[in-house]
Amino acid sequence: MIRNVFIKEITEFARDGRVKIAFSIVIVLLGIATWISSRQYNSTNQQYAVAKSAERSIWNNQGEKNPHSAAHYGTYAFKPKYPLSLIDQGVDKYAGTSIFLEAHNRNEAQFSLAADQTGLARFGDLTPDFILLFIIPLLIVLLGYNAFTKEREMRTLVLIRSLGIAPWKLILGKWTALFLPILVITIVLIVSAGIILSNLEDFGVFKWSNLGILFLVYICYYIVFVNLVLIISSKSKKSSISLVLSLAIWIIACLVVPKAASNFAEAKYPYPTRQEFSANILKDKQEGLDGHDPWNKQAKLLEQKVLKEYNVDSLHQLPFNFDAYRMQKGEEHDAEVYFKQYKYLKSQFEGQTNVYIGLAAFSPFLPARFLSMGVANTDYSTHWDFSDAAEDYRIKMQAFLNNDFAKNSSHGNWSYKAEETTWEKLPAFEYAPPQLAEILSKNSSNIIVLVTWLLGSFAFLFITIKI
Amino acid sequence: MITTDNLTKQYGETIVLNQLNLSIGANEIYCLLGANGAGKTTTINLLLGFIKPTSGSAFINGLCVSEDYIKTKQYLAYIPENLMLYPTLTAVENLKYFSGIGGKNLNKSQSEDFLNEAGLQKNAFNQRISTFSKGMRQKVGISIALAKDAKSLLLDEPTSGLDPKSSNEFGQLLHKLKDNGVSILMATHDLFRAKDTGTHIGIMKNGELRQEYATKDISLPELEQAYLEAMNYKELVS
Repeated sequence: MIRNVFIKEITEFARDGRVKIAFSIVIVLLGIATWISSRQYNSTNQQYAVAKSAERSIWNNQGEKNPHSAAHYGTYAFKPKYPLSLIDQGVDKYAGTSIFLEAHNRNEAQFSLAADQTGLARFGDLTPDFILLFIIPLLIVLLGYNAFTKEREMRTLVLIRSLGIAPWKLILGKWTALFLPILVITIVLIVSAGIILSNLEDFGVFKWSNLGILFLVYICYYIVFVNLVLIISSKSKKSSISLVLSLAIWIIACLVVPKAASNFAEAKYPYPTRQEFSANILKDKQEGLDGHDPWNKQAKLLEQKVLKEYNVDSLHQLPFNFDAYRMQKGEEHDAEVYFKQYKYLKSQFEGQTNVYIGLAAFSPFLPARFLSMGVANTDYSTHWDFSDAAEDYRIKMQAFLNNDFAKNSSHGNWSYKAEETTWEKLPAFEYAPPQLAEILSKNSSNIIVLVTWLLGSFAFLFITIKI
Repeated sequence: MITTDNLTKQYGETIVLNQLNLSIGANEIYCLLGANGAGKTTTINLLLGFIKPTSGSAFINGLCVSEDYIKTKQYLAYIPENLMLYPTLTAVENLKYFSGIGGKNLNKSQSEDFLNEAGLQKNAFNQRISTFSKGMRQKVGISIALAKDAKSLLLDEPTSGLDPKSSNEFGQLLHKLKDNGVSILMATHDLFRAKDTGTHIGIMKNGELRQEYATKDISLPELEQAYLEAMNYKELVS
């Protein structure tokens, strides 16, 4: 019986011109979006490879130079595009791709794609995740809104009821027929993306397991929509009412709740303005040791402490360059200040994330969106991770340079120049994004919410539907 | 076997069916006559289990409809007044679908045999239903009932809107089914068709079964007279 219902529904879909047009549009859009995304992915990663190699070469070939000059000369930490960004670009466009690493300052990531675009970028981009998260649920609405209402309107439901089919079999037949085209589209996209990625050079090591999880996330998301649309269709008297209600659900889930969540999260856990943030950092820095200022109160205390520790009367008697030592201590203080201020930012970010998770009870879009970005390594959490890794590298880099300066020169000797070969001894910045297990663990709340939506909608569909 | 035992349906204070007792055995065609609102369709809906009785019971093949809603459908076929099928599917596809959900999967050849038996022209078998007349749709409905091989058949105004030829063919088909041991209950306004097709006739008014006849014991004019009297159409009786 389920098979009969399934075949009938699929035959009707296949003969319905509207369905054919909608399906074709989605396939064409997905093809174009994947092509654009793939070109962008390739181009960005080629730029990444060139920039990374060029920057390292510039660093290695500085020639003889004072290590602190080298610290100010600085270098860049570049973030590549990770393989699954081909499907979900997440916040990559806004988050910046490179961080300038220098003495005394933790810099923000810069050169974001959005910064290079005009105001027209506000219209958004045609990306696979846009099709997957917005357009396919809309396709589900268009395919399924009249699944039951058309039977009621055509009065075929009377004959169906007289034949004694169990309601759950009819539902399952219709459910399968509605879900199958969506499953096919998703499989085609995911397999195409997998094949493209397997044949492209990538900087995050493409894994089919990650792609498989991404596929599952989207499939769960679509199942929730299929269930919701069928529930609405079964409860509505007319197709027009069912269409309006289904579209309302789509608008609320995909547009209203995410935007409302953004406003609500920002209001509840506001980020400081850039000015406030910079002022807080400056204030904290001034309360501590300034590595460049020997007359600073904390610097004087450090001087006394070191003299006492080494049991000498003069800084010149120390076995190392105290200026470099002080700068290193200043760097350590600065790092603590940045750690404290960024920790506050992170706590605000986590607060905002929790607001999103709470509001996910009103929209399956939110957990699906966060999981998709997480698995694709394009979420804000991955960006934080990259930023932290870059900061960690910056701290080690400053320690390396200050130690070289301290060890190889004496107090007051600012004319010291490190050898040409010194720079290549500093290991290059390498960053590995969080692995799948860690991502899933971090997103456990989103997984729970999405699974709750999945099971809840299934239960509601099969328990409440009467034909 | 179709049976009702004091079957009653009431909406608020309004009684639409009052203590109906029917017993339609194998090889019998029972025609329910009555004006609109007499309770004919309510009786059929109660036998189908689409609505629940206020009191009394309906039985199909000895099974109570209220208690064995799904199981009674195994023994039952139903053709409504306006049989609606899927317009984008062909006659064969509609038949295969409805038979399938009724629990009987047919292949193409079997489907064509049933459509042929129901009297549908061969060139219409693979045409979409959207091009069919009401008579042709009814024939597909009959083929669904034939394919189901049900022991009981419920018909709600099945010949309304059919041309005389189609109506006559339909009557012949019912006779064939009756001879094969099927119990048939047909609600109709058509006295002539009831007399011509039925083995028994019941006249309903205001939810009550007023009179019952065996068709062999009554002529068409007598039936017409009895119907008009039962309906209280005094001016027409005179």
